[in-house]
Amino acid sequence: MINLQGISKFYTRDSVGLHDVSLSIDHGEFVSVVGQSGTGKTTLVKLLIAEERPTQGTISIGDWDITKISQRDIPLLRRQIGVIFQDFKLLPGKTVEENVAFAMQVAGESIKRIRNVVPKVLDIVGLAHKSHRYPTQLSGGEQQRVAIARSLVHRPKILVADEPTGNLDTVNSQEIIEILKKINEFGTTIVLVTHDKDIVNQLRKRVITIDNGKIISDADHAKYRL
Amino acid sequence: MISFFRVIKFALQDMVRNMSLSLMTVVILVLMLLSVNTLVVVKTITGEAVRTVKDQIDVSLYFASDVEQEQVDELTSFIESFPEVTEIVYFDSNEVLNDFKSSHQERDYVIDALDEIVQNPFGPTLVVKTREPNDYQKVIEAVSIPEYADVIEAKTFGDTQEYIRRIDVITQQVEGFVLMLTGLFAVIAFFVIFNTVRVAIYTQREEIGIKKLVGATNWFVRGPYIVESIVFSAVAVAITLTAVYMAVQVIDPYVAVMLETEGLLTAFYDQNMMQQVLMQFGVVLALTITTSGLAMRRYLRR
Repeated sequence: MINLQGISKFYTRDSVGLHDVSLSIDHGEFVSVVGQSGTGKTTLVKLLIAEERPTQGTISIGDWDITKISQRDIPLLRRQIGVIFQDFKLLPGKTVEENVAFAMQVAGESIKRIRNVVPKVLDIVGLAHKSHRYPTQLSGGEQQRVAIARSLVHRPKILVADEPTGNLDTVNSQEIIEILKKINEFGTTIVLVTHDKDIVNQLRKRVITIDNGKIISDADHAKYRL
Repeated sequence: MISFFRVIKFALQDMVRNMSLSLMTVVILVLMLLSVNTLVVVKTITGEAVRTVKDQIDVSLYFASDVEQEQVDELTSFIESFPEVTEIVYFDSNEVLNDFKSSHQERDYVIDALDEIVQNPFGPTLVVKTREPNDYQKVIEAVSIPEYADVIEAKTFGDTQEYIRRIDVITQQVEGFVLMLTGLFAVIAFFVIFNTVRVAIYTQREEIGIKKLVGATNWFVRGPYIVESIVFSAVAVAITLTAVYMAVQVIDPYVAVMLETEGLLTAFYDQNMMQQVLMQFGVVLALTITTSGLAMRRYLRR
């Protein structure tokens, strides 16, 4: 499903994001990518959603080589990969419902389909009753759930979560992880980037550990080792 | 098509939800347009003043009293052939005499002296006007040939040559000053609008990034800003020209005192309103769209 071959990303001569990283993630896997701050985890996320381009190597998603993806095709890629971030990245001027609907509107989906899908995904994340609120009127956990709902509207085969619990307390973090597990059970591949030891240990799924831009371990049913 | 309507909807939604930013942008545009219209008014007034001064200048050619009508007609045709000449007014001997009498009617001794002379001592007169003051010299040189020495008794231009030269210098300086002021205002307007739009885009840079992250195309991100630019420009031009039109009706009586032209500015806006609307709207729109495009470019690359 996701295949990285010899990926390196150099920002400057002295600043290395990733160095000769090769990995493969199969359909339906739940993979945690762990490592300390500044080790290259977020660079990996940026490469997967084509926000950055690798200096060397190739990245393919399914049969699609996105290494040299054109500017024109980037929106198409992003509509097929769900992404959630530590800082939620919600549009502050739009309500919960509008934030979720926006991801479908940019893809040219019909009004009928939007009206059908949006309430359903909001229901999945337990926010149907707050659909008319603005992001600032929600707690951090609720905002992250909106972000998850937004990422689900296109039924993505891959969901990339970059430190989704970084700004949340333990209870809210647990809720988010439970939602991600549920999404994974429906067949979506989850790439969870985190440095939260407890979450990784509790999941007992595949863990890829990155240090100084290199993969230092890749093990199934593993624990956080750093 | 559905995306087009969504872009319009988002633009209107953004304008209403960011009302203070929308109002501030319109206020800045109105202030800049008011400055531009002040310049338009100044240009119209100075143009009229220069035209009035130029209009008062002419050259009179006084013919000898015994000149033949054929000679007068020939000279008139000759002067008419100059492209610089805009108007020739011919006064025959009797008209010149009557004019002289009426302008000297309070001086009895002059009138008595004229009555003593049975014959009309005046010849016909040609009053010539040209497009520009410096064109008079050409006309004078053309008729100052020996062939016409016996025909033309006197010319007034010699006395007013220095006066005309000065007027010419002053009008050129006024026109140059207005041109310089126009350039200055254009540069100021560009920078004010550029920075206003840039700040507006800067405050929304995160939103632009988020829209890109969820798969919006550049057109979908940029579209609402273009629609907003169109609305802001239209509203600003409408407010400005309404205010200016009302203001010139107050100013016009004062201008009339100076230039003896009734309703100069109102007439200008009446005749050129559509042109001014299109021109000012076009320039402001081009500026706002260009600057928002430039300001947004770096955020759209992500």
